Order: sequence, then structure tokens, then C-alpha cells
Amino acid sequence: MAMSRSRPRHRMSSASNSSSSSSSPEREVDDDNDSFMQQANDSQSSLGMDTSDDSSEDAAARRAHEQRCRVSPVHRLPAELLIAIFARLNSPADLQRCLLVCKEWARNSVGLLWHRPAMSNWENIHTVVRSIRKADKFFAYQDLVKRLNMSTLTTDASDGTLMGMSECKRIERLTLTNCSKLTDLSVQPLVDGNRSLLALDVTSLEQLTDRTLSTVAENCLRLQGLNVTGCRKISDAAIANIARNCRHLKRLKFNNCAQLTDTSIMIIAAHSTHLLEIDLYGLHRLESPAVTALLTSCPHLREMRLAHCTRITDSAFLDLPPGLDTPLTFDALRILDLTDCNELGDKSIEKIIQCAPRLRNLILAKCRHITDRAVFAITRLGKNLHYIHLGHCNRITDASVEALAKSCTRIRYIDLACCNNLSDVSVIKLAGLPKLKRIGLVKCAGITDHSLNALAMGEVRNGRRLGGVSVLERVHLSYCTLLTVEGVHTLLSHCPKLTHLSLTGVQEFLRDELLSFCRRAPQEFNDHQRDVFCVFSGNGVRDLRQYLDAQRTQAAIVAAATAAAAAAQGPGEGSVTMGEGSDLGDGDDRDAHSVSGEDGTMMVNVHPNLFHAAGTAPAVSAPTAAGGGNGAGGAMHYPALPGQTYTWQPQPHHQHQHHWTHQQPQYPHYAQYHATGNNANTSTTTTAGPANLSSSAPASTTGGPSGAFLWNGPPAPPPHLSHHPLAAAAAAGTAGPAAGGGGAQHVTGMMGAAMLDDVDEAFGEEEEESEMLGD
Amino acid sequence: MAGEGEQMVKLVSSDQVEIPVERKVAERSMLIKNMIEDLGAPGEEPIPIMNVSEPVLRKVLEWCTHHKNDPAPTQDDDADSRKKTTDIEDWDQKFMQVDQEMLFEIILAANYMDIKALLDVGCKTVANMIKGKSPEEIRKTFNIQNDFTPEEEDQIRRENEWAEDR
Repeated sequence: MAMSRSRPRHRMSSASNSSSSSSSPEREVDDDNDSFMQQANDSQSSLGMDTSDDSSEDAAARRAHEQRCRVSPVHRLPAELLIAIFARLNSPADLQRCLLVCKEWARNSVGLLWHRPAMSNWENIHTVVRSIRKADKFFAYQDLVKRLNMSTLTTDASDGTLMGMSECKRIERLTLTNCSKLTDLSVQPLVDGNRSLLALDVTSLEQLTDRTLSTVAENCLRLQGLNVTGCRKISDAAIANIARNCRHLKRLKFNNCAQLTDTSIMIIAAHSTHLLEIDLYGLHRLESPAVTALLTSCPHLREMRLAHCTRITDSAFLDLPPGLDTPLTFDALRILDLTDCNELGDKSIEKIIQCAPRLRNLILAKCRHITDRAVFAITRLGKNLHYIHLGHCNRITDASVEALAKSCTRIRYIDLACCNNLSDVSVIKLAGLPKLKRIGLVKCAGITDHSLNALAMGEVRNGRRLGGVSVLERVHLSYCTLLTVEGVHTLLSHCPKLTHLSLTGVQEFLRDELLSFCRRAPQEFNDHQRDVFCVFSGNGVRDLRQYLDAQRTQAAIVAAATAAAAAAQGPGEGSVTMGEGSDLGDGDDRDAHSVSGEDGTMMVNVHPNLFHAAGTAPAVSAPTAAGGGNGAGGAMHYPALPGQTYTWQPQPHHQHQHHWTHQQPQYPHYAQYHATGNNANTSTTTTAGPANLSSSAPASTTGGPSGAFLWNGPPAPPPHLSHHPLAAAAAAGTAGPAAGGGGAQHVTGMMGAAMLDDVDEAFGEEEEESEMLGD
Repeated sequence: MAGEGEQMVKLVSSDQVEIPVERKVAERSMLIKNMIEDLGAPGEEPIPIMNVSEPVLRKVLEWCTHHKNDPAPTQDDDADSRKKTTDIEDWDQKFMQVDQEMLFEIILAANYMDIKALLDVGCKTVANMIKGKSPEEIRKTFNIQNDFTPEEEDQIRRENEWAEDR
């Protein structure tokens, strides 16, 4: 922000000029403010000694200064450096104590202290106002206030409060966000006479009228940023007035000012050619020509938000004038939000992509007419595209999403809520995006655990995950009704940075023991919404992961005990080979377990380990929708989806493969005997019966990724696998899944924090919205 | 460009002492870097450092030598440094353990020679000497005379009491 850039400079000048002004600070109060400020211009160079305030020709004074410096070397520092030091003091209390050291220090610290007075509690506000309004004060505090932020007070801020500050005419940044009780009565006198204001935020001051805005237009000619979100009484005339007078406007937010029309926006386009950002969210009356005009005349425009400007049609973009020689392009445009501009069709999108080739964030949620054609156009953005929202664009299909994933490899955020034509094919492709942090799949009802496995694996090449630990942070899966606990557990196990997981309306998760980790439903939800609400965030995600890990361990212990018992029973049918196997235990621990269905039918939950390892055998049919609550077995491997080719190198699995191939005939027994021992495990409702297991294996399971490599629970994978990074991690976690998981979390936790710094999402809680859209 | 790091330049302190130094080290100072670029023939003509005496210049060059391979500062260094005042790396902390005379001379020199990182360390060091101290303790630390009358001091205290710790 321009504000913050200018801040240090202003700090410097305000204080350095006070240091170079009269040695008697009291006089400043009576000084004309402007002359007080003008002295900033002759502030000493940083090289010079802080020769005392009188004349530098005065040799006696110089000698006196030298003497002073000998006694206390700190006096050698000129005002600028003293200020630079004071600027490192974060606490107002430290600054206040500097103020009391001596006059020189007072002059150089007072500007910093009052730059942004603390307005967070009543006691502070009271004393601040009292000092400002005091008749005979030591410093001209009112002129030192450069930033005033009352937003923490919200509705507690009254006109009376703000009127106490009306003498502060040098405020550069005035933030009154959500102080909705404030009116013209206090805001207008505050901005009247202020020539310094750079940024004004009056979000949700619904009572504010053109009176204040006209005063801004007349006085605050340097204004660069204006946020009048939700100020419903402000008219086109006032906005036009500001656009005409304030010629440095860079950032404008008119969200929900539905009263505004093309009239004012056209004037902005005509006058505010330096515009960088404009947010016209919810200007229902806005029409296409205003959009065309903004794009055409504001070449620096970086961000344009037109969400819910429902009257905009294709002509907004198709009417853009052709360039003279080369096609017209808006190279600066990075963010374009067209949420719910539901008149727009593919042609608009094609034109936009052609004109704005460097778009980074593109939000097309609820542009319901767009089809694959638009998405294919978007693929031309290539690596520039980081953020794409296609929620409710339910005409799009796997074909275009696949192309998107292939071309736009730097996507960090994608939302495909309610795109119900999409299948696992799309998600499996998207899962390979190396930087993918957030994916929204709310109501993509066709997706199954395959998608979760793909997301868990991330970018895979030659059977190895690339790029280390998964960077996935937020996953929205509400109303993806085919998902199972097992699939979600896989996702949790491999995505240590996951901080948000929504599973609202996913039947398998509507169980008290799982919901206990879920966060509270928003207050505005109705009973039905509460019933199905299931969102895990922060510690909830961690706790869910730990719970599921513990469940698995418990199951493994029971299974191992059963295996031991079975082995002890002597050579039963097939049990010899099994007994031989700690390998079997292996598979076990990694979650090969089964439970009895309530009706006594066999419910098998088979760990993929059993299958993936075996290219040729124990065939398990890919889960199908018909299978209802498909088993983790299916979930854990990558099925032969049409057009998918997974080419994991089989080599690392060879040994395993033989092993399991050889075990194959045993399989039904294996499943059976687990059915006896694993009833305790209720974490699955898998219903794939043994019969299903015999069907032919999809070809692509050959050399599929072994889920076993992914689990970080015990026991350690066979040594020949330990070169696999994840296997190594698993080996490190032999103490138990919980411990292993905890360890992994600890290690990656810090990386997670580092990742948070990589904030290039301009959208705060967009997620929540997508959640709502889904509901 | 690869060989330039080995190149030597001659600096001359305010008290006319010539100090040869590796160009790469000297160029931690933007003042010198610009001068070298302006002069065109580095190494031949001695570069005068008007405001810095020999002992201070040597001390500053000691810092520059230790930090000669530091990455170039980034844009948001300013914002960063403001946040963590106590955050001074060990070597720098030891380097700054000098008498106040030298400490402030280093700061002045870093400012004059335009060595942002050193100026930053210097300012942080002094800020850390101030933090948490009462006005009287600060006066003692820096040997500053209180030139307020008791009435003035009281007035300022009252007018700024909102900033006090509570």
C-alpha cells in the first residue's frame, strides 16, 4: 500500500522537523501548523552533527556540543538516527519512557508514539482525546496522529468518541471499519480541512451520506484508497465528485453499494487512470459499458471484482476495442472476479483470456452458462494461473478439467463445487498439481475414495511421490457421499499440513465418535444443516487423524492376536502359509481388516497392500457406486479408470508382489478369519464381500502404489522398500501409528507454518462461501 | 564479473590512513559501491571516506568482511527488522560489544557509508539498551542529563499516560 510505503518517511519528517525547530517545545503549540511542518524541509543531513538549534556558525555552540558528546556519546546521533532507533521500540510504553528522558529525546520520540495512538480500549481513548483537546499541551499531538483506527471498537464507537479527534487534521489513514454507529456528525468534521488523507475506510457506516463524501472530495485531494463498502446512502454524485477531484485514486471498494450505477463508474473510468483495484461486488445495476470503460481506460488495473453484477453481459468484454497494431491486452490484470455474472458465456471467457494473458486469479463461480470451451480457453493462462473458481459451473466435464490440470501446473487453489459431471478422473489429474493447497469439491457427488487416494499421493512419477511432503492444506468434500472413512483416513495420513477438511453430509462421518472432533456449526444454520454439518479444522483435523490412527492400531493388535491364535490352532486350511507371515501381520497392521456386518454378512475392508503389490492377483474390483460404501480395498488402489494410465514402477514391489501372489489363494480365508477377530473395529462399513474379491483385477493395478508405503504406522516396511521416502518415514514410526503420526506432524508442522507465509491468495474466507454454496 | 571479488581497492579514512580492502568487502557499503562504479577504474584511485576515522573504518570493514557473502537485502527487510528488535545474530552481538563512543561511531559510519544491515544491527543494539528501562535508568545508561523541570516531566507523563503499561 502506498500508505505504508510513505509511513517511515512521514515519521522521519514529522519528528526530525520537530527536532530542528525551536528548542522550546512549548512554542510549537502556538506555531502555525504549516510552518511547523515546513521546517521538515531543512532537516539536517544525516551526516551532520546535531548541532544545537541555534546557528551552526556559532563556534561556542559547536564547542558546547562537542563537550556534550564527550560526556554522553549518544548525543552524536542526529535526529534521524535517534528516530531510527526509537522506531525499533515496539511497545508504546518504551517510547513513552524515552519521551521522559530529556527534551531532545522527547522531540524525537513523540512523533513515533503518536503516529498511531492506541484506540483499543476506553481508558486509552479517553486519555488520548484529553491530551489532544488540552489547551496548554507540551506537544501538538493532534498533528502527530497519522493513523487512526477505530475498527476494534466496532459499534461501541460513537460520534462522541470520534469528535474528540476532530482536531487531527493530518491523519493519512483513517480506518473506521464496522463502526456502524458513526455518522456525518463526527466523520465530516474530521475530514474537513484534512489535506493529508490517503486512505479512508468507512465500511458499513450505513448512515454516512454524501455530506461526508463531498467534504472528502473537496479536501482530501491526495486520496488514494476509498472503501465505502455497505454505505448505502452514498450516491453516484458523491462518487463522481471524488473521482473528478481526487486524481490519485488507486483502490476503490464499493461492495454492496447497490445504489451506484454506470453513471459514477464511467466517471471513475474517465478520471482515475491510475486505478489498481476496483471492487464492485453486488452493484446489481452495473451494466456492461461501465466494465468496458474501466478495462479500456485503466491500463494499470490489477484487480477487478464484479461479483454479483448480474446485469453484465458478454458485450462487456466483446465490445472491448481492438488494439491498433497488436491486440489490446491488459497485462496488469491479475485478479478477475466474475462470481454470479450469470449472463456471461464462453465467448466472454475466451475474450478475457485473450486480453488478460497474465491473469492469476479467476473466479467464475456460478457463471452457469460456461462450458468446457471456456475452460479450454483458460488453459491458455498456463503457469500464470494460481487460483481458479469454477463452482456451480456444472456444465464442465472431466475433459476440460484434465486439460486445465495439464496446462496450468501452478494452480494452488481450485474450486469445482457442484460440478457434478466431474468424476475421479478430474481429481486424480488435479492431485498431481505440485503446488495445490486447496481443493473444493463440495457436491461433486461422483467422486470416490480414488480421488482421496490420489490427493494423498500428490504428484507421482515412476511410483514415487515428487516434491516431498504434501502441501495440501484445505480440502472440501461436503456432500461427496461416496467417500468412506478409510479414504479420508488415507488423505489425513499423507497430508500433514491439512488444516481444514469439510465432510458435511457425508454419511460415513455422521457418527458421534467422529463428529466429536468436528467444529461447531455456524449459528445461522438451521436444524437440518446442523445435523449434517461436519467440518474439521485446525486441531480437529489433528485429533481426527490421531483417533483414526488409534483405531487402526487397536484393530491391528486384535488382528495380530487373532493371527497368533490362528497359527497356534495348527495347520488349518491355508493357515500354514499365513502363519509363516509376519508378512501377514504386516498387511494386517496396515489395515487389512474386516468386520462383520450387522446382518452377519461378511464385511471386508482390505488393505490395498494386498492387491497393489500383486499385479497379477488378488483381484479386487474397483469400487463402484453400486457397491455402496466401497471398501478401503478398492479405495486404496488406483483403479483402471478410463484414460488413466498409472505407471508406477513395479520394481520396488517385486518381492512383495511375489509374496502376495503366492498368498492369493489364501485370501478368502484371510478375510474370513479377520471377520472373527475384528469386530471391535467399527471404523469401516465396507461391504465388499469375498465374492467381489475374486473378480478380475483392473490392469492398472499392476504396480500400483502400495498403500503400505504410505502408512506411517508399524511395523517397519521390509528393508527392501525402505529407500522409498515414505517407507522410510514409516520405518521411523515403528513405535506405533500414533507416535509415528505425531512425529511426522511435528517435523512438518514447522514447514507448514512456513508455507503459510506464502500467502498469495487474495481471498480470505472464500472457502466458507464455497461451503455455503454447497449447502 | 567472477574475478571482481578478488580485486582490491584503497580506502582513505578521515585521518588520512590508507586501508586496502577487497572490493567485495568494501562494496557492502553502497556509498563505496557507487563511487567505484562512478570512478570507472577501481583499485587505482584511493577512495576517501571523509567522515570516518581509521579505527572506526577498520571496525566497519571487519563487519563487512564477516558479512561479505550475505545475500542482498530484500524489499521487506524494513518491515521485518522493525518486528524483532532483539533478533541480532551472535556474531553481530559480540561485534557490537564496544564502548558507547565506538557504538555510536559505528552507527554514524554505517549511515554515512550506507550499509543498511550494519545500521540495522546498530540501531537494534541501542534499542535493546533502552527496552524495559525507566527514564532514569535510560539517563544513567547513556549519561544523559535531565533537562526537564519536574513540572514539565510531570506534564508530559500525564499527556502520554495512555501509552503506559497497564
